[in-house]
Amino acid sequence: MNRKIALVICFLFGLVMFLQYFSQHQVARSVNQAVLEYWQIIFAFTLLVGVASVIKSNVAQMRRGQDRSYRLVTLIGLVSMPLLALVWGIKADTPFMWVFENVQAPMQSTVFALLAFFVASASFRGFRARSVPAAILLLSALVILLSRSAVGSSLFPQLTGVADWIRNYPSMSARRAILIGIGLGSLTTSLRVVLGIERTWLGGRK
Amino acid sequence: MRKIETRHWTFLGLFVCIGLVMLINVTVDHPVSAQTQKMYDFIDSLPSGSVLIVSFDHEASSLPEIRPIALAILRHAFSRGHRLIGVALLSEGTAIGYRLMRKTAAEYGRKYGRDYVYLGFKPQYIAAILSMGESIPRTFPQDYLGRSYENLELLNGVRNYDDVAAVISITDGSLTTHWMEYGSARYGIRILSGMTAAMVTTFDPYVDSGQMYCLVAGLRGAAEYERLINYKGGGTRGMLAQTTAHLYVILLVVLGNVIYFKSRRKRTTR
Repeated sequence: MNRKIALVICFLFGLVMFLQYFSQHQVARSVNQAVLEYWQIIFAFTLLVGVASVIKSNVAQMRRGQDRSYRLVTLIGLVSMPLLALVWGIKADTPFMWVFENVQAPMQSTVFALLAFFVASASFRGFRARSVPAAILLLSALVILLSRSAVGSSLFPQLTGVADWIRNYPSMSARRAILIGIGLGSLTTSLRVVLGIERTWLGGRK
Repeated sequence: MRKIETRHWTFLGLFVCIGLVMLINVTVDHPVSAQTQKMYDFIDSLPSGSVLIVSFDHEASSLPEIRPIALAILRHAFSRGHRLIGVALLSEGTAIGYRLMRKTAAEYGRKYGRDYVYLGFKPQYIAAILSMGESIPRTFPQDYLGRSYENLELLNGVRNYDDVAAVISITDGSLTTHWMEYGSARYGIRILSGMTAAMVTTFDPYVDSGQMYCLVAGLRGAAEYERLINYKGGGTRGMLAQTTAHLYVILLVVLGNVIYFKSRRKRTTR
């Protein structure tokens, strides 16, 4: 019975949201606005569920003695940031912002910057012209890379044209095919969910 | 002591290359791409006082690449006298966006509330984009600083996207897709973007189809934009380091392949 109620609610909301999209009537616009506001409220609650899940999982792993120090850092971060925000707020020049700007942002930038070193290492050890497709990929990557650097486009002005051709034809065709595939897949899945054919979101049982 | 492997030498090589060029004060000359020019022309052609939404849809990790792009665009917009509304659809972009807007506004003597406002973060970006299309005051009843929407001079008369010239999404991911799919397709708002270079191919189809008006891409895009506004910022300064890193990677690829083909030939002759 509970599953049927959920399916009916899903179908009704799917239908209403679909129909309101094509209407400029005041009632349709108000319904849309109200649903969007509830969507954001529900999302805030899902965040709470996520935080509770992270705490539960980390505490359980710590009890088993797995990576205790790392998990402790995670939990300290998880508790201290909301605490700082609740006590001093999140506006400029607060402790919360100080931690964000002086701890979180530099740490994230550092981890992201490490990518450059891994790319350098991988380009030396793994980027080999072992076959014709690999050679084409390699050549395309070199052309794009060189065209994006200031030296490449200055030394070989035609390089930008070649790089643009690679981006505008082979690359874009592949990208479009992927996007159309994703679009059709999303449409089909949405229809299956709204019509009650796809029910795994209810918990997986039939 | 652990043995030093080949990869460690490649790491060291990159570190030395970038470290050395950071000490040299040389400006690399580069032509302005059509996309950057289009962004510049659009902002330049708008009548002074036009309202633009700048959405900071990025995380802190991409700040070194995103910051010069955002600063260049903000500087241009403020210098042209446009009025800016800042929002953030990723929580991490909230504080960064506010800092950047405050800094650039101060450079041009722009006043908060009259020339720019910062509405802050709204969770669930799809709902936020759609909701702003219906009503911006209902989506953001207060600004980032806790002031009521009605008390901010700039926002008087700004009810939804109809009162805004365009949205500029500063992004390091695919969030701008949602601006196009929901903001542009549903409400017809024009979408422009400043993004990390890695995201360009993702958005090429949208630019080609006209769903995205134009984009400024990566550190090079920032350097191009800085050239257009005649300002030497992080983009111009970073171009030499980026170019050196690119050339170093190309050198490693060539070197790796030379070694590979030599060893293959040796194996075949045996």
